[in-house]
Amino acid sequence: MLRSTGERGKIDTVKASEHHHGGNRGSAWSSLWLLTKRDLKVRYSTSVLGYLWSVLDPLLMSVIYWFVFTQVFDRSVGEQPYIVFLLAALLPWMWINGSLTDATRAFLRDVRLVRSVALPRWIWVGRIVASKGIEFLLSIPVLVLFAVFSGARVSWELVLFPLGIVLLATLTLGLSLIIAPLVVYFRDLERAVKLILRVLFYASPIIYGAADLPEFAQPLAWLNPLSGIFGLFRAGFFPSQLDWGLVAAAAAISLLALALGQWVFRRSIGGVLKEI
Amino acid sequence: MSNEVPIISVTDLGVRFKRNRSSRRSFKDLFAGGARRTRPGEFWALRNVSFDVAPGEAIGVVGRNGQGKSTLLKLVAGVLLPDEGKVSVHGGVAPLIELTGGFVGDLTVRDNVWLTAGLHGLSKREIAEQFDEIIGFAEAEAVVDTPFKHLSSGMKVRVAFAVVSQLDEPVLIVDEVLAVGDKAFRAKCYRRIDELLAEGKTLFLVSHNERDLRRFCTRGLYLDKGALALDADIDTVLERYSKEHPA
Repeated sequence: MLRSTGERGKIDTVKASEHHHGGNRGSAWSSLWLLTKRDLKVRYSTSVLGYLWSVLDPLLMSVIYWFVFTQVFDRSVGEQPYIVFLLAALLPWMWINGSLTDATRAFLRDVRLVRSVALPRWIWVGRIVASKGIEFLLSIPVLVLFAVFSGARVSWELVLFPLGIVLLATLTLGLSLIIAPLVVYFRDLERAVKLILRVLFYASPIIYGAADLPEFAQPLAWLNPLSGIFGLFRAGFFPSQLDWGLVAAAAAISLLALALGQWVFRRSIGGVLKEI
Repeated sequence: MSNEVPIISVTDLGVRFKRNRSSRRSFKDLFAGGARRTRPGEFWALRNVSFDVAPGEAIGVVGRNGQGKSTLLKLVAGVLLPDEGKVSVHGGVAPLIELTGGFVGDLTVRDNVWLTAGLHGLSKREIAEQFDEIIGFAEAEAVVDTPFKHLSSGMKVRVAFAVVSQLDEPVLIVDEVLAVGDKAFRAKCYRRIDELLAEGKTLFLVSHNERDLRRFCTRGLYLDKGALALDADIDTVLERYSKEHPA
């Protein structure tokens, strides 16, 4: 036995004086933070380039689209400088895209952890949105860098950037809460989500602006909350991309998604825990 | 049983599973959380189970395979949700279930210990204070900075046991994990559980090993076909169990 009873007694007194026994489950937020850090740590510890990967992907995409739409074709959509226009929507797109993709494996990837630790259950989904969100925040310097070097003009609407973050986080969490439990029941959904995301990429104002959609497709912009949200992210550099009507629609849909997500999650979690 | 306030209180507990994993699932299934009727293709893994546990009791759960023992433990640990009835646990639970479940192969032992202890609710200061003790208990000093996946399977379980048994939660749940490790480490685990019992922790033990059950437990719960067949002192329970299921 390595431990003497004397040591043991000492440790116990320390604890008693902290009132830290009984229901000493750390707060949900500290668990969320721990798991988020774990996700990032795992990702960065297993690759040499680590953090660079979360930047390289959107960067490469941007360069491709920039080349195709400004060098090959004559660009008739979006604004100048186009690379900033692209990145301002592509980086947040990576966030929601990555979160929803990972949400399909929220319970399956860490089955044994979910089966052995009793945490507030939404954390299994929340940590995905959070870790992808942190990667998004870490990729913002890329946007700043391009904005500086391409001479993009900044206007007061840049203060709306955080509002974009809040709305996107709400929407992403809501949708993830719907997807994560359903995938456990219908494994097909995992592939369906990937397909839908690919469609959504082109259906959202990323390589173009919401106003560039032709008349007949305008309802699409209103139904797609990403139109209003990406408008908020772009407004700081391109004030004309801001459409308060779309923002209001996006806010309403995001809140609705979160409410629905909570409901679906609460109703289905009991079954999910049995299935995994 | 004392007349203290129960630390675990189980009332009319019921949980049902699908008999067949591939049985048709529908959206209706998914949302039919509280419905009481049994649908075809489902069975009750546990039903109408009620009991109270006073602080400091050591309870052994006995029964054949598939009679609901592990299910009961998972419900008490809060990693499974009941379809009927209620489980209330006043205080935290240290679950020795799926021991290495929370560990990540790519992270070092050090990272893993911090992570698992943190997830189970220990504060940074507490982990810092207990870190050496945890590593010492697992005799893992030499591998602290080795990725977890490179440990031997015995060492993995030792580290995991060391963390969870260090949690200082009032309820300790043990599911057949005592059979791990070499003889010396098993003896150490036994001593650790003895210590925890002496500190007044409540123990919930599932085991097929009569010696373990008699050694630690005072009270037994005998589960048969998902029902609580007998709730008595451990010797009575074991006697009835071996009479109904002679080896």
